[in-house]
Amino acid sequence: MTTIEQTDAPATQVDDAPPTDPTPSHGAGGDHGGHGSSATLTNGKLAMWLFLASDCLFFGAFISAYLLYRGRPQTGPTPTELFDIPFTSATSFILLMSSLGMVLALAAIQRGDHRRFRLWLLATAIFGATFIAGQIYEFTHFAREGLHLDTNLFGSTFFVLTGFHGAHVCLGILWLVSLWGMSMQGRLGTDKAESVEIAGLYWHFVDVVWIVIFTVIYLMPQPGT
Amino acid sequence: MSEGTVKTLEEEMSAVAHAEMGGVLKPAPGLLPGEIDSHPTPFKYVMIFLILVVVTAVEVATSYLEGDISSGLIVALLLFWALVKFVLVAMYYMHLKTDQPMFTRFFVLGAVAACVLYTIMLTTLHVF
Repeated sequence: MTTIEQTDAPATQVDDAPPTDPTPSHGAGGDHGGHGSSATLTNGKLAMWLFLASDCLFFGAFISAYLLYRGRPQTGPTPTELFDIPFTSATSFILLMSSLGMVLALAAIQRGDHRRFRLWLLATAIFGATFIAGQIYEFTHFAREGLHLDTNLFGSTFFVLTGFHGAHVCLGILWLVSLWGMSMQGRLGTDKAESVEIAGLYWHFVDVVWIVIFTVIYLMPQPGT
Repeated sequence: MSEGTVKTLEEEMSAVAHAEMGGVLKPAPGLLPGEIDSHPTPFKYVMIFLILVVVTAVEVATSYLEGDISSGLIVALLLFWALVKFVLVAMYYMHLKTDQPMFTRFFVLGAVAACVLYTIMLTTLHVF
């Protein structure tokens, strides 16, 4: 794993260092934003943040497409007729609980408590699977009511947006289960806590995207109501 | 340039070469790479979760005010509550509050770019 270390003193300023001070500028790190501690950056974490930044644009496109066609005259079932807010609120709550499980799993592996780590990781994956089960139920219910991907613009934009989000959740579940499996085999020690943190970043991002989808798609008043 | 300075520069270059060749430079003890401060405690995580639950409940309740207050006000309130939840998760669960500011810059850049780009697009297409 390649690691980039940042220091407050750029290489060009090394010449200004007192000649008698042989202390290397690496190791403890510098003072960043008022805190003095670790200053290392790993490629994995940096890459995940860049991916998440690009995923903002990905989901933004689908949310915009939904908003663009919202309220347009169309045939077939409408959101007002189909949405079950109490049910979707419950699934949103479950996804929030999964986020709590994820951070507690990370905290557990950081302090070397592998039993609790596996427990919280499994709980997170189960909460995620429950959310997906709720989404499948919702999709099936909508299909029974006559809303399909090609029924109208609402169907197309809704299923594509929430479907892609569901795919992200499924990928996250696979990731969590693989981490759980690695931990069971003893291949995920405390020194690999960063791998868990990176998986957690992805998982929480899926959660924040749902926060936006839940508000914009489900809760906002429909035009003309 | 004195000998001591040359030595420091050599160490600097050696460390960079070490990193480029795939070496691992350890973070400070107890912290993960990229952290500048310790992560929140499990108790704090639970407190944040409870706040998120309360905000979600308030958000859902706000959506039921349709007809009692103007739609514009409901939309503004819902967006505000969503923003509160978004920021809480990003700051505490994704550790942007305790990690290097560079991560925050990346994420904010992506989120703001998406908001600006699609707001311009939707405004151009007369959605607002």
